[in-house]
Amino acid sequence: MNDLDIHFGAIRAGDTDAFGQWVAGAESRLRLSLRTFAEDVDVESVVQETLLRVWQVAPRFVPDGRPDSLLRLAIRTARNLAVSEIRRRKPEAFDPAMLERSSRLEDITVPQVEADPMLREAILRCHDKLPTKQRSVLAARVESSGAEHDRDVAGRLGMTLNTFLQNFTRARRLLIECLRKLGIEPLAEVA
Amino acid sequence: MSPEEEALVESACTAWRPRATDGRIRFHPAWHDLDAGGRREVFERTVQLRALEQALDSGGMSTTARAVLARITRRA
Repeated sequence: MNDLDIHFGAIRAGDTDAFGQWVAGAESRLRLSLRTFAEDVDVESVVQETLLRVWQVAPRFVPDGRPDSLLRLAIRTARNLAVSEIRRRKPEAFDPAMLERSSRLEDITVPQVEADPMLREAILRCHDKLPTKQRSVLAARVESSGAEHDRDVAGRLGMTLNTFLQNFTRARRLLIECLRKLGIEPLAEVA
Repeated sequence: MSPEEEALVESACTAWRPRATDGRIRFHPAWHDLDAGGRREVFERTVQLRALEQALDSGGMSTTARAVLARITRRA
């Protein structure tokens, strides 16, 4: 896997396109690094807040010379955010071992993922096989890019929120079933 | 999983998140109503969904990435 720090110089200079490329490569590994917190924090919120903070601190960040230093900073930031949220919401449930898991930058292990080289082609093929209604709900949520509540996305399609969610569930299941028939898992973490 | 739980899980898998008055990103309201199993399901389902979204996007970006970039470019 390529070292994502190749984008660091441009990110530090304020290049949002470079940051977008870095995020495209970093997001899945950042998210997977938070699996142990999934019951205690809304990982999607933590991932988004972390990416915003990485963008803000990047101009002042000094890489340690090892690969993926910006991603390791992101993972540490995300873990610290997750721990802070747990302490704030449920102080009685706070486990000091969590702090240990979010310690030194050089100790951060970056999860490795195995992307099937045929994945994109297979997803597009399976996507094209979806019934029209399921394809439209999937496309509508992707196009909204997290800017709208599902209720508003559903309204644009003339659906109730429940109908939209049922169609979305069906779309996701059909896509995954189709991919599995082709022998492909959308994202496999390397042990 | 009951239909109600299923709807909560699917709702929480979107990249949309409410914002606090200070701009911080808050948890999805549906996430609060889920038990531990439901929250784990949200995590696993979101991992898969974002990979699908990245493959369907010409720039290789998920809805999470698009949401974050939209905030950054609005600020710039």
